[in-house]
Amino acid sequence: MLLVARLAPAVAGDATVTPVPAAAWAMVEEEARGQTVYFNAWGGDEAINRYVAWAAQVIKARHGVILQHVPLADTAEAVSRVLAEKAAGRTRDGSVDLIWINGENFASLRQAGLLSGPWVAALPNAPLLDTHGNPTTVVDMTLPTAGYELAWGSARYTLFYDSQVVLVPPRDPAGLLAWIRAHPGRFTYPQPPNFLGTSFLKQLLFLLSPELARARFAAPVGADFDALTQPLWAWLDSAHPHMWRTGRIFPASGPAQRRLLGDGEVDFAMGFNPAEASRAISRGELPGSIRGVFFSGGTLTNSHFLAIPFNARAKAGAMVVANFLISPEAQARKADERIWGDPTVLLVSTLAPGDVARFATLRRGPATPESVGRGFAEPHPSWIRALEKAWNRRYGVR
Amino acid sequence: MKFLAVWVLLLSALLPVVAGLAGTVQLDTAAWSELFKTPGLVQSLTLSVWTGSVASVLALALAHVVLAAAVTGGWSGRLRAASLPLLATPHLAVGIGLTLVLAPSGLLLRFLSPWATGFTQPPDWATIQDPLGLALILGLVIKEAPFLLLALFAALGQVPAERLVLQTRTLGYGRLKGWLVAVAPLLQRQIRLPVAAVLVFGMTNVEMALPLGPRTPPPLALVLWQWFTSADLDMRPLAMAGSVLLMLASLGMLGLFMLAGRLVGRVWRFSAGSGRRVTSASGGLMPGGLAVVVGTLGLASIIALLLRSIAGPWRFPAVLPEHLDPAAWSSAASVLPGVAGLTLALGATTALLAVLLVLAAAEPLRSDAVLRQRVAMLLFVPLLIPQMSFLFGLQILLLKLRLDGTLAAVVWSHLVFALPYVWGLLAEARASLDPRFTDTARLLGAGRLRVWLTVTAPLLLRSTLLGLALAFGVSVAVYLPTLFAGGGRVATLATSAAAAMTAGDMRYAAAHGAAQALLPLTAFVAAVVLGRVVFRRRLGVPG
Repeated sequence: MLLVARLAPAVAGDATVTPVPAAAWAMVEEEARGQTVYFNAWGGDEAINRYVAWAAQVIKARHGVILQHVPLADTAEAVSRVLAEKAAGRTRDGSVDLIWINGENFASLRQAGLLSGPWVAALPNAPLLDTHGNPTTVVDMTLPTAGYELAWGSARYTLFYDSQVVLVPPRDPAGLLAWIRAHPGRFTYPQPPNFLGTSFLKQLLFLLSPELARARFAAPVGADFDALTQPLWAWLDSAHPHMWRTGRIFPASGPAQRRLLGDGEVDFAMGFNPAEASRAISRGELPGSIRGVFFSGGTLTNSHFLAIPFNARAKAGAMVVANFLISPEAQARKADERIWGDPTVLLVSTLAPGDVARFATLRRGPATPESVGRGFAEPHPSWIRALEKAWNRRYGVR
Repeated sequence: MKFLAVWVLLLSALLPVVAGLAGTVQLDTAAWSELFKTPGLVQSLTLSVWTGSVASVLALALAHVVLAAAVTGGWSGRLRAASLPLLATPHLAVGIGLTLVLAPSGLLLRFLSPWATGFTQPPDWATIQDPLGLALILGLVIKEAPFLLLALFAALGQVPAERLVLQTRTLGYGRLKGWLVAVAPLLQRQIRLPVAAVLVFGMTNVEMALPLGPRTPPPLALVLWQWFTSADLDMRPLAMAGSVLLMLASLGMLGLFMLAGRLVGRVWRFSAGSGRRVTSASGGLMPGGLAVVVGTLGLASIIALLLRSIAGPWRFPAVLPEHLDPAAWSSAASVLPGVAGLTLALGATTALLAVLLVLAAAEPLRSDAVLRQRVAMLLFVPLLIPQMSFLFGLQILLLKLRLDGTLAAVVWSHLVFALPYVWGLLAEARASLDPRFTDTARLLGAGRLRVWLTVTAPLLLRSTLLGLALAFGVSVAVYLPTLFAGGGRVATLATSAAAAMTAGDMRYAAAHGAAQALLPLTAFVAAVVLGRVVFRRRLGVPG
């Protein structure tokens, strides 16, 4: 603990990364040895759980750190716990050492002063991050990560459809609306405030807004909310009556909608991991005719991160774990669709040749669209709550 | 001093709740005014009240009628056996299983399509999550009727049912009517607390409402759950105010139910006084048929979930999956043993502690029915308050005691929910022992402890075994208390099943749900079989 505290000022400040003195990192590794890191991460996906179990094995063998996965049904459980610990005056020896997090949860914890940091720049692997090509690795929903969280994987909003039924997938809002009208009851989206549902709203909002208005979303919500979101509500107003259950019932989550797609109740699903459907096909959970597609006007992109709570017991251990998780070895395995299929946050072209090869051999599954095209950075987090509230007022109560 | 054991029992059951409530119920006026501005709040609350109370009334009526038909018709053994799987399967698993049966893409329509319905795609029907909450009500009835049935079976021990039925028979009543007139009201008096627990659970549950409940708006408990799990920390005060509102509503409904119960009792007596005899044997057909429908739907849900757990791709309207695929089970098999082992250990510890606490406290109260009833009511308090309204406060208490995330804290939280059931079963069993057995032993010069060990304990063995199984079952089932007390570090089958369910891979989730159901089921069967084996050469030992 002490060592990390002493190290912190040296690496504090801006997120631009300079190589870390090997000696300083060796001290962190030394302190970490023997520590148990409680990694609070959503535990609903068995493939992810197995990946974390693999990482735990490697980390234990190489660094003597015990990585203990605390599987959550919802990340808010861990946020809640850190909050309760703060309320109970537990400023050290907290129960969460490392937490898988992004966006709103990060903003909440950061604002409440519940995160430790900055610590990211102290990691030897931090310079490998693709901070220029993929700015979402250092700007989390418009909030600079400022070294308080480390990008772990990246995501692009992807539409999945059944190519047996949808021969030519719509790739813009107007086309989607036309398709929905022509095929009543076959489209839906997860109900906000589920994050995938809210993301669908954000995705549409970007596409429906004129180019000039888009910059506005990076700033907090203001009095112009109604005017700016008017095209979104107009789109939804005309789509809902033709949607699944005439827009009166919505699936609870992305996975719930994926199930509907698998059962043939709807022809679309959506997710943030472009490889999600390929994986589901290989598991036999979705039929082989499912394909993925990005909106042609641009797709919502973001990253997910690792953060250390202010009162973590094993801060050094958590840093060692985090450093391993962004190593080329761990990232390439994570990007493998047979393992997990989560896109990497590293700039692959600058890696050592051996590491580049790890990524070069990866294969895309049948339903994974090629990651090209324009990305939209997430709007300021305040838009989420505002969109959810407005959606609920309009469609949440019948 | 004599009542030390009683105080220990009450303290261990109520301290977490009182501390938890103290941490939750804060007068945050801003949060309250924000709460009342929430669109759809009234509809949400109305839905909670409507689904919870209708489901409770239906489950209660069904349990009574079916029990009457079963006991008088001689199939109560089979009924008890058939209700055990439903009782043991967790709520969330039954709820999801029911969606796999009832949804437009579910088993029911697959059986009828396309030959009878002409559907090649699932129709756009709201057979689940319907705006009136009928699917939710059905799901609750499927889970709660077996529970009330079990409570009725337990109460049967305290009511001279056979004698009463015989008397009504000599007065010319048919079996069923005789039962309903003479026995049912006595039973009802015994199960008031379980009924109250069912009502509160029906109004405040998340597990059933999540897969089956309406969505625009959802029942209040679901809204609160969304707020509690929101990333926006500003929502927490709102969630807490909302959970207090839900608690007040459930307490109000409890009062209303008590009043209604009296009224029904009066009408019942009046109609019984009419003296109309119903002797036709066909009276048992309708309740029997209802039991079969509800039971079949329930068992079909479990089967659907199991089938889904080994299914490959499964397009509508195929009745069976394209091919079977045990991958989910084999990958679950790599994590299940560890989690199941911990679940087993927690359940066993909880069961042992619960039974010991209850036996110790039942001893001084054995001849005081009034005090026993008071203790029962106090122990039931945790079941009459929405869990959400005290768990956050409980977490802070545990943090202050530095107990959070420990196995001890988890066992404690499980005890809170197991004790009321064990007390209801075991304290009454202790009280109904004939005091002449122990008096005789005392007269023969045996000390108190020896009398208890050689006379009382063996006589109570069968009830004790059932009590152990019951407490074990509760421990395996509870999700939220495990989550909050365990600080997320204690992964049991309940928490891993819930996490798997949120991921939507039904096959992996079903494997967890099945494992979670299997443990208590095994415990119940073991308790019954063991009781039979031990007493196979003895006559007249109470069950």
